[in-house]
Parts: sequence; C-alpha cells; structure tokens
Amino acid sequence: MLAAIGDWVAATSFADWAVSSPYAYPVANTVHVLALVLLLGGIGLVDLRVAGMFRTLPLQPLSRALVPIAALGVLILAASGSILFAADAGALARQDTFRLKLVLIGIALANVALFRLRYGAVVADPPPAGARLLALISLLLWTGVAICGRMIAYS
Amino acid sequence: MFKKALVAAAILAIPAAAAAHHGWTSYDEKKVIRIRTSLSDVKWGNPHGSANVRYKNATWHVVLAPVARMTARGLTKEMIGPKKQVVLEGYPRRDGTHEMRIERVIAGGKTVELR
Repeated sequence: MLAAIGDWVAATSFADWAVSSPYAYPVANTVHVLALVLLLGGIGLVDLRVAGMFRTLPLQPLSRALVPIAALGVLILAASGSILFAADAGALARQDTFRLKLVLIGIALANVALFRLRYGAVVADPPPAGARLLALISLLLWTGVAICGRMIAYS
Repeated sequence: MFKKALVAAAILAIPAAAAAHHGWTSYDEKKVIRIRTSLSDVKWGNPHGSANVRYKNATWHVVLAPVARMTARGLTKEMIGPKKQVVLEGYPRRDGTHEMRIERVIAGGKTVELR
C-alpha cells in the first residue's frame, strides 16, 4: 500500500517541483536537520529529566518550555520531510530503512499519546516509575528515527 | 547503565542491511570506467541527477550530482542532452549492479568535476 502511495506522490506536480527545483531539496534537507535539533534537543532533555537525570532542574518549567519546541520540531520535520519524500517517493516507499523509520515514528507518537493520557501534559515530580520508563522509550525511539533518517541515503 | 542502554539502542536501531548505496564507498574507485558516449533518460533533478548509458552490452544506471552543484560548476542539462557526445569518468558499484557513479564529465569541451 505504501508503494502505491509513493507512486501516486511521485506523479504529483509537488513531486515534480521537489525534483526539478535546484534549491527545494537542499533547503528542505537543511530545514529537516534544524527541526530535528528542535525535536531531539527539546524532548530529549525532558526525557532525560523525567527518566531521572538532572534532578536539580525544575521539571515543570523545563517541560513547559521544551515540549512545545519539540512539537514545533515535529511539524517542521513533517513539512520538510514531505518535500524530501516527494523527490524520490517511488523508491523510498519500497525501502526498508524508510519503512522502519515510519513505523518508529508511529510508535513514538503513540508513546506521546500514552504518556499524556496517563500522566498529563506535565508529569508530577518526582515522576512515577511508569513515566520514567516511557521517557526512556521516547528517547530511544526518537533517536532510532533520527538514525533511520540518516541511513536512508545509504540503504 | 543508562548510558549503556542508550548505546545499545543506537546500535540496534542501525539497520543490519545498511549497505551504502549513495555513499562513494559503495563504488570501486580502483576500477575506473572511462567512456565516450551519449546519455539517455537524463533526469536533471534532486537528490541527484541520473541517466542511462550503454556500456559493455548492458544498460548502466549513471549517478550524477545534485542539480545545484552541477549548475554551479557550469554543467547544464543541454550539455548532456540526447545525442550529445560526452566523456564520463566514474566507478562501478562494488556489488556488481550495473550502476556507475560519475567523478567527472567532459562535455562541450569542458571538464566538470561532480564530487
């Protein structure tokens, strides 16, 4: 099914633009990396704090500042990523690394939903053991997503 | 313990089959291919240009450079267009796939480095 979506995307004029504009791809690529810094830098620090590191940092102001930055990162990643995907949609949709990346993103987002459902937007301090575990899982998932992203060009 | 878990997860997350495709390392620089030919199916696009050539009785996929780089170095789509004679210097894929990555193109009397 993903292959069919890829072929459909590849036939759009958006894909034409992503391929043929000399600057769309390199600019999207650069923005994608910067947005990844927002995401991993933001949620990574909160995850580490929830998991048990940096206990002298106040958790609640930290989450209020960094979680929105991470969410902004996700939005920019999706937008810039759609340009990168469109430029090579047919092949990417069939590539194992790209598919794994999508699966990891799905699980990571489900993890966000689960965390917020169970512990609220800002978790109590000190965080319960379950929250610490989910934070650790979050960190591993987003790191895995980033690694897959980087490896797509070499798969 | 925490750090060990991080490192382990990072290693696990690298797909086992991360055999390089686009990196130069997947091409054998010791086997230089130099051919005078014309290109067909030229794709002047990102993430990198590509084309096909006939080489040793087979159709080979030719990997060029990103559009902005080729343009900045003075190569145009017209210079490698249909029926234009060009010289390609590049390297074949190590895994035996009929694909070559091009180090330089000589077109219209001009040598353009693609790396």
